[in-house]
Amino acid sequence: MLVSCTQEDDPVPIPAGATPYVIEVPFGFPQKMNIPENNPMTVEGVELGRCLFYDGRMSGRTHPDSLMSCATCHLQHNSFECGIDHPVYENGFTHGLTGIPTPHLMLPMINLVWNMNGYLWNGKISNDNPNTSFRNIEDLVWMGVLAPHEMNGDTNRTKAVIAAIPGYPEMFKKAFGSEEVTMKRISMAVAQFVRTLISYNAKFDRYMRGEEQLTASELSGFVLFTTEEGADCFHCHGGFGNPLFTTNLFYNNGKDTVFPGTDDRYVLTGDPMDLGAYKATTLRNIELTGPYMHDGRFATLEEVVDFYAHGLLWSPYINPLMHHIANGGTQLVPSEKADLIAFIKTLRDEEFLSNTEFGPPEELPE
Amino acid sequence: MQPNDRGACLNNDMKANRLLILLSIILLIITACKKEADPDPAPSSGKICFEFHHYCDGLPLDFDIRKYVNAAGNEYMVNEIQYFISDVTLHGADADYTIDAWKDIHYVDTDIASTHEWKVFDEIPAGDYTGISFTFGINEEKNQSLMFTDHPESLMFWPQYLGGGYHYMKLNGKWLDTNQFERPYDFHLGIGQIYDQQSGEVTGFIQNYFEVEVPGSSLRIDVGEETLIDLVMHVDRWFKNPHTYDHNYWGGDIMQKQDAMKVGCENGWDVFGVLSVDF
Repeated sequence: MLVSCTQEDDPVPIPAGATPYVIEVPFGFPQKMNIPENNPMTVEGVELGRCLFYDGRMSGRTHPDSLMSCATCHLQHNSFECGIDHPVYENGFTHGLTGIPTPHLMLPMINLVWNMNGYLWNGKISNDNPNTSFRNIEDLVWMGVLAPHEMNGDTNRTKAVIAAIPGYPEMFKKAFGSEEVTMKRISMAVAQFVRTLISYNAKFDRYMRGEEQLTASELSGFVLFTTEEGADCFHCHGGFGNPLFTTNLFYNNGKDTVFPGTDDRYVLTGDPMDLGAYKATTLRNIELTGPYMHDGRFATLEEVVDFYAHGLLWSPYINPLMHHIANGGTQLVPSEKADLIAFIKTLRDEEFLSNTEFGPPEELPE
Repeated sequence: MQPNDRGACLNNDMKANRLLILLSIILLIITACKKEADPDPAPSSGKICFEFHHYCDGLPLDFDIRKYVNAAGNEYMVNEIQYFISDVTLHGADADYTIDAWKDIHYVDTDIASTHEWKVFDEIPAGDYTGISFTFGINEEKNQSLMFTDHPESLMFWPQYLGGGYHYMKLNGKWLDTNQFERPYDFHLGIGQIYDQQSGEVTGFIQNYFEVEVPGSSLRIDVGEETLIDLVMHVDRWFKNPHTYDHNYWGGDIMQKQDAMKVGCENGWDVFGVLSVDF
C-alpha cells in the first residue's frame, strides 16, 4: 500500500490474521495519502467501520427514536452529503439528534484520503494542529458523537452500547486483535471506511483515460473551466492535472464584504488575508451536494455560476486568484453558463453513488 | 612408509597441491572480485544545499502589504509566489555538473516553509565552480502533464488547452489600477499559445522557459562538506528590465497573453542572485 505517514504517532502493525486493505491509486491521482501510521487499513477494519458508519446505535442509544449514525446525514446517493432533497433535513440544513441546528454546512465525504490540507471548511482538523484531538478523520468521528448539534452523545455510552451488541466484539478482534471495544477503535474503524470512499469513474475520468469523449457543450465548458479568460475555475478546483477537483485550500471568493471571522480560516491562522476564506470543495458529484458555499446560500448550481459570473463582491481580503472581480465576475453569457454546467456534470460518478461496498451492510451485528 | 604408501602419499601430495592451487585460484578470484566490487575509493565529492529567499527593492519581501511601486508606477503587493527551477548546473573550469536529470526539478512555495530549502541528493565532484545556472520553469522535454500527481506540485498544472504541463510560476498579488481600485493580478508564466485570428482557436504553443545564469555564484565543493547557496528572487525585477511591465496595460491574468508572458520571461534574466555562498 502506498501510504504517506502524516502523523507522528507510533506506527502500529496490522493485527495477526488481518488482511491489509490496498488502495489502488486511480489514473492521475496522488500517490501520497493521508493515512495515520497508527491506523493502518485492513479489510476487517474497513468492514467494521462500514457497519459502525451505518449503525444508528453509534448515538449511544437504542430507542428507535434516538438512533443516529453517520449515514443519517451522509447519504451515499448524495455523495455522502445530506443533499437538498433529504427527507428530514429541509433544504440540506441539518440538525442534531436533539434538534439543535448544525452551525455549519456539510462537506462532501469523497476522496478524503488524499486531503493533505485539513478537513472542515477552515481546515481545523489537520495534521498540523498542535491539539492532537483535532488531527484527522478519526477525530471527526469523536466530534460527531459528542457534538450537541450532531449525536449529542457520550463516548462512554456509545462504547458501552456497541460493546453490548454480541456481533461486534468479534469484529473488533478481527480488526484490532482483541474484542475490546473502545471509542478510539470505533473512530479508527469508521475512519478506515471513510478513506475507502473513492470516486474515480465519472465521465470526465473516462475522458481523461481516453475511454470516452465529451460532447461539444461539455468540451466548451471544460475550456471555460480551465482558462483564465473563461471562468477560471481550475486554479482552485483542479482539472486534468488535479483530478481531485479541489486544491483542498482556502479562499475568500468574493461572497461578502464584512467578515465576522468566527468560523473561517482566519480563526486558525490569525492572518487577515484569511478573513472570509473557506475550503474550495471538490466538484465531484457537486450537482448532488447542494446547497452550496460554506453557509448554503445558493440552492442550485445555476445560482453558483451566476454568482461567479455577475455577483462577486470586492473586499481587501479577496483572494488574488479572483481576478474577475475587476468586472464583477466572469461575465459568462447564458450559453457559456450552460456549457460550464454541462462540463461540471461530467464529474458525476454513478459508480461511486451506487457502489455496494460503500453502502449499508446487508445486516448489522446483533 | 610402504612403497604403496609412498605412491599413495605422492598421490595425496599431488591432490593436496592441486587443491592448494585450486584454493589459491579461488582466493585470487574472490580477492580480485572483492577488490573490484569494493574499491573503497577516497571520497572526492560533497553536497550542495539551496535556500530560497524573496526580496523586493533590495529588502526581504513583505507579503500582503501594498507598499511597493514597480517601474511602471503601479503600487502593488505580493500575496504568494510558487515556481519551479530545474536543470541546475554548476559550471566548472574543466567540466560542468548538472544535478541529476529528472530529480532536479525543485518547487518553491512561499507559503510552504519546507520548500525553501533544497538539499540536493547528488554527490557533487569536489572542486571550484565558476557559477550556477538553471532553467526557470521546466524544459519542453520534461514538462509533461501528470508528471506530478502529489500536492503541492500537482496544483501547478497548466491546462491541456493552454499547452499542458505545469506553470513555471504563479506570482499572485494586487495592484492599484488607474481607477484607484485594488485589483488582483496573477502573473503566471508557462507555455504560451498561438491563436487563430479568425476562430480564436489555439493553433500552436510557445515554450517560454528560459535559462538563468546566477551572477556572483562561484563556489567550491569541499570533500564531505555541504555548500550552502542562498539564492534570492528579486521580485521587483520581474517588472522592469529590459521591459517595463505595467499591470494597467496587461491586466490581471496573462496565461492566455503570450506577449505579456514573453515580457515577463525576458525580464527574468536578472531576477535571481545569491545572498551568500557558505563553503
